[in-house]
Amino acid sequence: MSGAEYCYQNDGGRCVVKVKGEIDIYTAAEFKKQINAAIEEVTGDLHIDCSELQYMDSTGLGVLIGALKRMKEQGRNIYLENLRPNVRKLFAITGLDKIFILEV
Amino acid sequence: MSLAGSMEKQEKINSCEDRVVLVLPNKPEYVSLARLAASGIAGRMGFDVETVEDIKLAVAEACTNAIKHGCCEENSEYRIEFGVGAKCLTISIADRGCGMDKKDLCQPDLQNPREGGLGLFIINTLMDGVEFETAPNTGFTITMKKYLGV
Repeated sequence: MSGAEYCYQNDGGRCVVKVKGEIDIYTAAEFKKQINAAIEEVTGDLHIDCSELQYMDSTGLGVLIGALKRMKEQGRNIYLENLRPNVRKLFAITGLDKIFILEV
Repeated sequence: MSLAGSMEKQEKINSCEDRVVLVLPNKPEYVSLARLAASGIAGRMGFDVETVEDIKLAVAEACTNAIKHGCCEENSEYRIEFGVGAKCLTISIADRGCGMDKKDLCQPDLQNPREGGLGLFIINTLMDGVEFETAPNTGFTITMKKYLGV
């Protein structure tokens, strides 16, 4: 079964959420809960480390779009870091690489 | 068409394609199983790693669509059929719903991105051919094709 794991680092005011595993229709609700909790918990930008995110589909994109809208309303931003090629491609084909900041 | 003619046509289809059929409950936890089947079949046919990922994603999007919009009753099911040809993989996903909104095939509006409705656009972008069929009493079927070596 697919699943996703999360861990948080808070180094020097920089909040990093590390997502591991797969985000699909089954795991998207937990992803939303975790991202929303991180948005509540910190005041600055949110960094999501995707180096161990093996798979994501439109259900994960939906969660991120919702989160980005909330963040932008507060003048904050979301940085997506270390995306694997298959996940990066999802952002490229939907054009969402133009509204999210994708790093390395 | 006569019964004999219909059987002959079916045999012709079967002779050039292997069929793999998966019937899944409309429960999100089984979508990963559809992805596993898709990647196993596409990998065995000789698609490269990137294309296998594309096929997996397209299948998952169609399954997500079937679960969200296609299965109105609880404990309902949807059906995935893989047609494995020498040069083409055909995947049909059939549910009992009333189908889709054609506007969901359009390029997403980046000025006002929506949290849903990206799935069909993704399928249409990644696959070589996509067809939709809505039949009264039977439901909605999406059929997608991917050609080897294209």
